[in-house]
Amino acid sequence: MARSVWKGPFVEGSLIKKAEKSRGNIRSEVIKTWSRRSTILPQFVGLTFGVYNGKKFIPVSVTEEMVGHKLGEFSPTRTFTGHAGDKKVSKD
Amino acid sequence: MSKGRILLGVVAAPHGVRGLVRIRSYTEDPMAIASYGALSDEKGTKEYRVEALSSVKGAVLARIEGVADRTAAEAVRGLRLYVERERLPETGEREWYEADLIGLAAFDREGRNWGKVMAFHDFGAGRTMEVSGGSASRNSVMLPFTDEAVPEIDVEGGKVTVDPPAGLLTGGPAKEE
Repeated sequence: MARSVWKGPFVEGSLIKKAEKSRGNIRSEVIKTWSRRSTILPQFVGLTFGVYNGKKFIPVSVTEEMVGHKLGEFSPTRTFTGHAGDKKVSKD
Repeated sequence: MSKGRILLGVVAAPHGVRGLVRIRSYTEDPMAIASYGALSDEKGTKEYRVEALSSVKGAVLARIEGVADRTAAEAVRGLRLYVERERLPETGEREWYEADLIGLAAFDREGRNWGKVMAFHDFGAGRTMEVSGGSASRNSVMLPFTDEAVPEIDVEGGKVTVDPPAGLLTGGPAKEE
């Protein structure tokens, strides 16, 4: 059953505080969080969170398309490292 | 620094009775495994010409020159197919092959050792680089693959310079209240 609309999206209160504090800083920093269940709000766009996956913090750079999803969706708890092959990486 | 040969795929199993095989491809586009010309085995002694026919069950259905029946196809099961690094096309200006970067030593600006580049991941929120094995951090660390976090890449010199973003490594495991 979906969450009632009148409640609004769930976000950990402390996470909102941390995000507001980080917005004020000039130097970009990673906001560490264990709250994988928190919904990504529009005011999080541009911030980078370190979302705990049970073992380490995965950097999650929030973009517009991610609004409405949960932070945990971008920090998988089971990872598989395949072979590099001819795959390329580039800096965005 | 370019590595000699790069693993592009492994022959997983024979397919049918006409010598076709299923290849687990490690290339970005699985069908591209056949686009690098003749591939070689692990020792580099024997060459194999691969013709990719279609993709099946997450693998590539292919024909290997000289493999004409199922018995021959059974014989190449588990064969690892390599390509010379020089045969891969040039990359763009801000683009690197993962194979070139994996294994490079990672140091920060103060010269602390962060270990080696282990892998690259993309979980949908920006590409990340995993480093581990250094004295600067006990566990493996995921860094965003950006100019800020990875300012310099020296493939020839065999090292990358990392600048872990503030907040990623500081602070203990105290939960948010």
